[in-house]
Amino acid sequence: MDLRFTETQEILKKMARDFLTTECPKTLVRKLEQSEEGYSPELWKKMAELGWMGLIIPEEYGGMGYTFQDLVVLLEEIGRNILPGPLIATIANTFPILEAGTEEQKKELLPKIAQGELIFTTALLEGDGVFDASGIAVKATPKGDDFIINGTKLFVEMAHVANYILCVTRTKDGTSPEKGITLFIVDSTTPGISCEVMPTTAADKLCEVRFKDVNVPKKNMLGKIDEGWPIVEMLLRKGAIAKCAESIGAIETCVEMTVAYSKERVQYERPIGAFQALQHIMADMWTAMETSRYLVYEAAWMESEGLPCAKEASMAKAYVNEVYKNLSKWAVRVHGAIATSADHDIPLYYRRSKAADIAFGGTDFHREIVAQKIGLV
Amino acid sequence: MDLSLTDEQKVRKQEFDDTCKELEKKKPPSFVGFETIYEVDECWEYNLYCAKEFAKKGWLALGWPPEYAGKGDMMDRVLFAEARGYYGIPGVDIFGVQMLAPTLLQAASEEIKREFLPPIARGEVMWCELWSEPNAGSDLASLSTTAIKKGDEYIINGQKTWNTGAHKADWGFGVFKTDPTARKHHNITFLLHDMKTPGITVRPIPYLDGHAPYAEVYFDDVHVPAKNIVGQEHEGWAVVNLLAGFERSGINEIMSMIRGLEQLVTFCNETKRHGQLLAKNPLVRNRLAELACELEAARALAYRVADLQNRNEMSLMDASAGKIFFSELGERFAFLATDILGPYGQVKTSRWAPLDGLWEKMFHEHFITTVSMGTNEIQRNIIAWYGLGLPRMR
Repeated sequence: MDLRFTETQEILKKMARDFLTTECPKTLVRKLEQSEEGYSPELWKKMAELGWMGLIIPEEYGGMGYTFQDLVVLLEEIGRNILPGPLIATIANTFPILEAGTEEQKKELLPKIAQGELIFTTALLEGDGVFDASGIAVKATPKGDDFIINGTKLFVEMAHVANYILCVTRTKDGTSPEKGITLFIVDSTTPGISCEVMPTTAADKLCEVRFKDVNVPKKNMLGKIDEGWPIVEMLLRKGAIAKCAESIGAIETCVEMTVAYSKERVQYERPIGAFQALQHIMADMWTAMETSRYLVYEAAWMESEGLPCAKEASMAKAYVNEVYKNLSKWAVRVHGAIATSADHDIPLYYRRSKAADIAFGGTDFHREIVAQKIGLV
Repeated sequence: MDLSLTDEQKVRKQEFDDTCKELEKKKPPSFVGFETIYEVDECWEYNLYCAKEFAKKGWLALGWPPEYAGKGDMMDRVLFAEARGYYGIPGVDIFGVQMLAPTLLQAASEEIKREFLPPIARGEVMWCELWSEPNAGSDLASLSTTAIKKGDEYIINGQKTWNTGAHKADWGFGVFKTDPTARKHHNITFLLHDMKTPGITVRPIPYLDGHAPYAEVYFDDVHVPAKNIVGQEHEGWAVVNLLAGFERSGINEIMSMIRGLEQLVTFCNETKRHGQLLAKNPLVRNRLAELACELEAARALAYRVADLQNRNEMSLMDASAGKIFFSELGERFAFLATDILGPYGQVKTSRWAPLDGLWEKMFHEHFITTVSMGTNEIQRNIIAWYGLGLPRMR
């Protein structure tokens, strides 16, 4: 047992921190929130040169061949700087392509992802807003060599700039909601697709995506027909750990900023950090950060080793969701009025804690997985 | 990051598990939670029996240097604690094995080590801690019990309190004011003494559930050999801080809660309320799942503490964070479990009590971890002052 980062991971961490500190200041974060695209193509290109989109893609497909836990190290740094854009969405889509894609699909898509040439996103949620298979109603109907997709997806991250959308469809009404789900890699320029950005708490460009008689060639099916749900589960599992890693970075920054401010801000002739009422809140913030961190590392290590970790991944996500929201809330409160202002950096984190909570499954969704995994019938 | 065990560790883990599983079969029915060893005679006997069994295997000296009959390493200690916690097996004296022995190894003279370590390793001598006083709790350094040196002895006068197991222990380690004129923190000496020394009176104190896991100890001209000192005279405060660093990572308590959760899940899978299984109640599912997440978070942090200690690195902040977290998780768990059990959650060990009355017991017992070993509020001060560098209270 050794919970330290490896030397490679330390190098990756330092490189990412230096790069993002220079390239992704909060002025850029704010600018991108207001922009239509929601990401910086220029920064995207630089990150591609560093190999970030292809970090865990094997070298034979043009990636860097790093492990899943290396990715966690990178994502913590992404979370510290709350880098806006489709990085996690794109990386998350490499998981299903790697695990369920045909050799042709891998060769076609992975090198381009690694080069930063493709932006990928997943269209999962619909009107019901639930993460389980019962929420999937968008239909894909076979027609000759194609499938025709009809219906509306919601909360699709960065779909307005994505080149491809991994669309989770219903191809059959089966005996259970999980049966009859099929995944398609859909070119976003296909006629019949329209997209509209939803205004959200984190201004993170979640989209409504409408599919009207959208033709998708059969070869773009990912995995087998009607048997796509386990791929979605895998994507949610890995995505949940990845999102947790990003949250850990954000949580860490909230703690650091709050502690630093409490040492500077003087009231009653002393720094507010001298008051025990605030010291204990900050001690609790620190404790919450440490428990989150090592829970996420445990899940990430298991995922990296290929060990079954559906339980641990859901535990991490359900736990970190709540910690991030609560801790960033306390970060605002310890700062006081100043951090309720839009000009302050802390609210950037607080607003993102809600987005992080929902992404790849909210707390109750993951708690239900945990309930099953601990043996409740 | 690597959480894997080596093949050798896996073998030893199996051995720890198998032994504890066997010992579980001999548990007296009155044994409900670790504190009962101090409360019920047959549980104390069971504690001594388990200690002897562990001593035979050399497991009371895990991680000690070989010259003191040590065996294995710190990681073995973690794996052993996991097994004992899960099966709820006593026999490892919290005070002797877990706190005093590592302190002696670092701070005591060769003579003291040679005299006191072997009986601990053989499971022959049980210890208690004599720190708190009626007017010195969290502010321990303001203690007033004196030990005045006279020739080759110290003469102790005063009173200690909240001494867990003092009414069962053979020996005690305590801190006493040896130089009443010196300034705070430089006037205290750490001494070892036989609990049978004339002048010592031990009075068990009933805990809020009526049992007596702890006692108050009166010293009336108690003569202790001056050689029974750990560390420097008047500098016992340094020993106190050292010993506090050897407090439990919480692995034991966490594994015990993991077993408790498993048993509660089984109960919910088998018990109907409102005509349906408790396990099917969405509120029960959600709350148990929430607790399971927190429990895993506690375990992950305990590994972090163990990992640091394995490399002899300081783990002050993480140890405090872990203590706060697992002890308050114990409170939440006791509340949740007794909620789920409904009216049965208030029944003590008897034919009406589900799960042997464990949760009724835990409804009281959780204060033992939140209040002792430095209250959680003191732990928060440690994190704030020494970890986060916030200004100290004056």
